[in-house]
Amino acid sequence: MITTLLIIHALLAVTLLGAITHQAVSVWLPAPAASGSFVTRFRAVPGTSYANAVVLLYAATMTLGAIIYPTYRVTVRIMLEQLRMNAANGLFELKEHFAVIGLLLLPAYWYFWRKPLDPSQQTTRAGLTTILALIVWWSFIVGHILNNIRGFGS
Amino acid sequence: MTLPRALPVFAVTFAGAAALFYLAAVEYNLALFTYHPLTKQFEFLAAPQRSGPAMYWYGWIATAGLGGAAAGLLATFIPGPWAKRLWTGLAWVVPAFVILAFLYLLRVYFLR
Repeated sequence: MITTLLIIHALLAVTLLGAITHQAVSVWLPAPAASGSFVTRFRAVPGTSYANAVVLLYAATMTLGAIIYPTYRVTVRIMLEQLRMNAANGLFELKEHFAVIGLLLLPAYWYFWRKPLDPSQQTTRAGLTTILALIVWWSFIVGHILNNIRGFGS
Repeated sequence: MTLPRALPVFAVTFAGAAALFYLAAVEYNLALFTYHPLTKQFEFLAAPQRSGPAMYWYGWIATAGLGGAAAGLLATFIPGPWAKRLWTGLAWVVPAFVILAFLYLLRVYFLR
């Protein structure tokens, strides 16, 4: 059961990673139209249309993470402590705190991705999106590293 | 859909205040409740570990959420002209500061 939830958690995280990365790139390097090279098309997505999906995906990924966290706490973390893998433990500690910061800024993120946006609030929208993107990337990479340390079936 | 005018004030204040409340909750262990994963039991406020580890993370989130919501609601009572002066950048600058604070506080994991 936990393995199934962990896989769904990872799949949701991949989807979230794609959505927030598209949006972050579009807010920093907007392209006028979805034509031309792959990179131009990547930049040209309408970021506003991603906001609701990002909020829902973030909430769902976080909820699943919270459900499987006790299993991590009583199995993986204790093993990491016994092996003195302090850096790996620290990476996860940061992940859990960063993920909460991301959760708490979702209402503001959602609000500043509504249309129409006051041009004076463009920096706030970019700042919120960047922080959220960094948190999602950090969480994804750290989750992947820890899963490699204490992988499936070990 | 029309949103209440107080929403941006609430959202900006909540993002900043809740991040600060979360930092304080972790640093001073101000968990609203404790979860004992081995016995699957909840306990009010921060309780010591019993059989197996105690998890405070959920309680810290609850503390931060309630604290942030209270601050956000209070901010909505700020009169309009003053509320318009609220810098919306607080919504991301404060969380960014809290992220840096966590990097500093947890540096011990990477230095030993």
